[in-house]
Amino acid sequence: MTTLSDLEAQATRRAPAFGEHAHILCDNLVRIYKTEGVEVVALQGLDLLIEKGELIAIVGASGSGKSTLLNVLSGLDVPTAGLARVAGMDLLSMTAKDRLRYRRSVVGFIWQQTARNLLPYLTARENVMLPMKLAGKKAGRDRADELLDLLGVADCAPRRPGQMSGGEQQRVAIAVALANSPEVILADEPTGELDSDTSEEVFGALRRANRELGVTAVIVTHDPLVSEQVDRTVGIRDGRTSSETLRRTSEDGDVIAEEYAVLDRVGRLQLPRDFTNALAMERRVRLELERDHIGVWPAGAGEENGD
Amino acid sequence: MNVWQLVKVHRAAALVLALLALSASLLLAALPRGFETAYDEAVHGMLRDVSAQQTDLDVTARPLSAEALIGNPADFETRYAEFAKHLPRDLREAVVPLGQGTSHFSAKTTGTPVDTRLDGSKGASHEYVDFAWVPAAADRVTWVEGTPPGPSSTLARVPGHPELRNLKVIEIGLVTEARDKMKIDAGAVLLLGNSYPVVARVTGIYEVDDPADRFWEHNYEVTRAIIRPIPGDTESEWLTTGLVSDEGLASLDERRELSYSWVYGLDRDAVSAADSGAMIAQVDDYSRILTDLAGGPYSSMFTTLRYELVTGLDLVLTDFLSVLRTAETLLYLLLGGLAVVSIGVLALAVQLLTERMRTALSLVRARGASLGQVVRTGAAVIALAVLPATLLGYGLSYLVPGPATLVGHLVPVVLTLTTVLFAVGRLALAHRRPLKDTRADVVSARSSPRRVALEVLVVLLGLGGAYLLRSRGVASDAQELGADPFLMLAPAGLALAAGILTLRLYPLPLRLFTRIAGRRPGAVPFLGLTLAARSRGGAALPVLILLPALAVSVFGALVSGAIGDTQSRAAWQDVGASARVERSAEIPEDVVARVEALPGVNSVVRAGKGNVQVGIGGLRATVLSIDLKDYRELVAGSPLTVPDPPRGLGIPALMSKTLTPYKELEIGWHTRMKVRNMGRLDELPGLSFPGENLIVMPFDGPKRAGLRTYTNILLIDGDVDRATLERTVGLNDAEIETYATSLVDVRDTPLTGAITLAFTIATVAMGVYALIAVIVALVIGAADRTKALSFLRTLGLSQQQARTLTVLEVAPLIVLTAVAGLALGLVLPLVLGPGLDLSAFAGLAVTDFPLTFTTPALLAAGLTAVSILGAFAHATAGRRVTTALRVGESS
Ligand SMILES: Nc1ncnc2c1ncn2[C@@H]1O[C@H](COP(=O)(O)OP(=O)(O)O)[C@@H](O)[C@H]1O
Ligand SMILES: [Mg+2]
Repeated sequence: MTTLSDLEAQATRRAPAFGEHAHILCDNLVRIYKTEGVEVVALQGLDLLIEKGELIAIVGASGSGKSTLLNVLSGLDVPTAGLARVAGMDLLSMTAKDRLRYRRSVVGFIWQQTARNLLPYLTARENVMLPMKLAGKKAGRDRADELLDLLGVADCAPRRPGQMSGGEQQRVAIAVALANSPEVILADEPTGELDSDTSEEVFGALRRANRELGVTAVIVTHDPLVSEQVDRTVGIRDGRTSSETLRRTSEDGDVIAEEYAVLDRVGRLQLPRDFTNALAMERRVRLELERDHIGVWPAGAGEENGD
Repeated sequence: MNVWQLVKVHRAAALVLALLALSASLLLAALPRGFETAYDEAVHGMLRDVSAQQTDLDVTARPLSAEALIGNPADFETRYAEFAKHLPRDLREAVVPLGQGTSHFSAKTTGTPVDTRLDGSKGASHEYVDFAWVPAAADRVTWVEGTPPGPSSTLARVPGHPELRNLKVIEIGLVTEARDKMKIDAGAVLLLGNSYPVVARVTGIYEVDDPADRFWEHNYEVTRAIIRPIPGDTESEWLTTGLVSDEGLASLDERRELSYSWVYGLDRDAVSAADSGAMIAQVDDYSRILTDLAGGPYSSMFTTLRYELVTGLDLVLTDFLSVLRTAETLLYLLLGGLAVVSIGVLALAVQLLTERMRTALSLVRARGASLGQVVRTGAAVIALAVLPATLLGYGLSYLVPGPATLVGHLVPVVLTLTTVLFAVGRLALAHRRPLKDTRADVVSARSSPRRVALEVLVVLLGLGGAYLLRSRGVASDAQELGADPFLMLAPAGLALAAGILTLRLYPLPLRLFTRIAGRRPGAVPFLGLTLAARSRGGAALPVLILLPALAVSVFGALVSGAIGDTQSRAAWQDVGASARVERSAEIPEDVVARVEALPGVNSVVRAGKGNVQVGIGGLRATVLSIDLKDYRELVAGSPLTVPDPPRGLGIPALMSKTLTPYKELEIGWHTRMKVRNMGRLDELPGLSFPGENLIVMPFDGPKRAGLRTYTNILLIDGDVDRATLERTVGLNDAEIETYATSLVDVRDTPLTGAITLAFTIATVAMGVYALIAVIVALVIGAADRTKALSFLRTLGLSQQQARTLTVLEVAPLIVLTAVAGLALGLVLPLVLGPGLDLSAFAGLAVTDFPLTFTTPALLAAGLTAVSILGAFAHATAGRRVTTALRVGESS
């Protein structure tokens, strides 16, 4: 088992040599929660590359570290070790001032809980204008309306969150996240509290923001409806990226999804659990390099004896 | 972020904060005003109780040569103005102008004997008639006979005194009492003086218009004819003083014992307690200024007048200051306690409001607000709630009569600042990092070593301060103005130390209870105690509020108790029984019978009292005849103690220390009798004064000497009021005193009243604050508690059990804090004891603090009950936890 110090050592040893040009780059990211005696390793050496303008989904079991990753990316949380860079800004070495600027103009985000995204006593328009004001910009009333219109909630502008449906609230929340024209928006299970129809609307809004404004979008989701509609889905397991699913549309219009395992920079690979279970692979496997692939076999009976 | 909007949204919490700020500001600003009024009333009362001679500034001078004489009234007036000009500021403002009140000037002779009465009338063998030129007296007397005196003349020859020629004749007027008692009538001609004779002609007799006018306290000699025993002689001498005219002034020369006096009357009500310290110093200064005015201390005392200031003002004020210091100490202690408690409650309310704003502020922080923006917004919300409220409270404090005080002015500023600063601190800590997931539900935070060290330091400082105070005592120098800051700090430090200890130690007994509860059936006690044992963070403020609140209340109760007890003792000692009737002449039998028959009178003890010469040589003694056994029964149950009656043959007596050398004394009381010294008794409170020579014999002493018993004192046991007694006795020369009236006299002094009232107000206020603290603390934790309870509800917790759980969660802390507060309150008098002199409020020295447990224990129990009831009310009236946890929600 990898110990904490191993991880930390690894993280510091390796210089970031890959993904220089990626819009979002996580290299061997580690986040350890140390709460008085209890240590929880939420991210244990996570690697992730996202290109500018991409729309990706992140999936994973509960507790696998998705929210932690998003908090790190949004500048709300600081990783313990590793490298995290968004739009050229290093999230580990930012000063408090940089961090503020980063939150104000580089990222926007949406939480799962609809209520947590908006101030209940402000109207939708005021909520959208709030980040602009905080950043010290002239309150762009027109821009707020424009954004609300883009996301299909123009009629909600004068209403307060209490008078809107959950879907509308989340779409307003997207508008809020977009208020200062960020380069990246991050959404943590934005449709988690919504039914499927509404989810569709909210996801549609996110996709429109991504397409029309060119914003890089990262969506954490459980919702197959969402994960099946993006070009790339990244799976996270135990604080590491474990798989990636790429989708493309074939000539006849069908969506073809291909699942890939992630090979990290030291050559580690996570095999999907159902694969290993099906072949009763345990403890070790036999690898064989072929011309165009690597074969993986369960360890043979004879070898087992020699152990 | 719109601040006003935040206030509006969280108006309930803001209103709570505002109301608390209002009440704190009002109390803290109004109490010092009230105190100041009481101080002023006290100084006025004290000045009123002494004679004008003591309070007024009397510039005196004695002309010793002809050059130093002042012969005309105009010169007196110029000097009056001249001296007034040099009066230091506070004194100048406090004196009344010439011609009003007791302000005046005079020239008087003393010790002028009457040689012969030239008109042939006869008087006593020793007579003195002096001259007084007191122009201000002219308007204060009425001439009832003859005419006012006029200019002086010369008498060529004095019949019967051939050696005397061309004697000066000074015309004088005399008071009626001189005519009536000394038999000097209008028209009398007196040859005065031995070595430098002068003739006085009495032209008229006057009557004093208002003998109660304080003016006469300076000129007592012109209002009376006084008889005075001559030491070592059986005869007495008579003295009076005659008024002379303005023209007569010129005839008063240095050959008499002449003295001039310029009196600056003090307007007693113009003296304020705050100025009294300065005034003491100014009296001293003025005295020096006057010396310099006469040409300095080295000028010739014969050719120039040397002015001297005669006043008791500085002494009276010094006395007052020493009383004031104790009062100030007590009241500041109280005010300090109240301030701590109210600031604590305010902090708690701030916590409530910031907690309410937390989600909104976290959101804006996450959306790109800088820490400064968040803190500014939050602090502005707090300020918006607090500032108008404190200002309003400050404004309302002006409704309380009294002068403005520095403390009062500072109150709104300090309250607003501390509250806002507390808010800034809290907000900055909470929002320093936008994401704050401490997961307090997983593990309770362990305190950092730094914090432990700090707490240990505070505890050590608190205990050390108390120890120092105890061993050093409080600086009791009255000249040292203001209250001793150390005295203020030590109790505060002690309270803080006690608070920290309570916070640290209270989980220990709880763990024991938890273990016991865990073994017993029923989950609620176990759960409640477990919760109580771990809720540390939020408990700090309520503990720091409850503890000093109770400590100060208990201390107040002890002080009031000590004062009350001593007051009662003083009243008993003053009267000597429930009631006393005393008269210099005998009290007739029928009067005694009537008093005995009065409803409410249980028993009456008779006594005789007189003042006698003891042996030869001017020694005098108070002699009492009383049956001490009966007297002891009469006062049984009171704080008075009565010794055993003297036993023996003849007339046995108890005598005071000064008379111990005498085994037997012959005294002349009713008759010549011999009394035998059988023991010592220095004082019988109410019947004799301390320090007096005292002889106490059996009531039938005079009878044993061959006469009969005499009664001029009745000591009464029973419930009878003074008016009834006066009516029943019906003798207008009888002095009647009752315990009740005497008690009112000691009790109703402004300072005592102020202290008692202040402690009452503070105790009530602190009780209310403690209640609010508990409720606010519960409301702050309400969200978490609701979550926990709704989780437990899914497991089958009933509504009733949920309520019990809430009460059980806070009750242990309240009870333990109350115990700590009670203990601290009981210890405070021990700590402060040597520095607190309560005698001024009690009429007697307060020897010890009786450790009465009843009131303090009742207070502690009351406060605890009120607080727990508050918790119960909150649990009952608060939002009902009907919602069980829904699937998908996290608790
Ligand atoms: N503030 C925190 N303190 C301690 N542990 C935490 C904290 N936040 C998250 N964790 C732990 O980190 C792991 C990852 O959590 P999270 O990122 O929220 O997962 P996800 O969003 O994928 O469900 C979990 O085991 C969680 O218990
Ligand atoms: Mg999550």
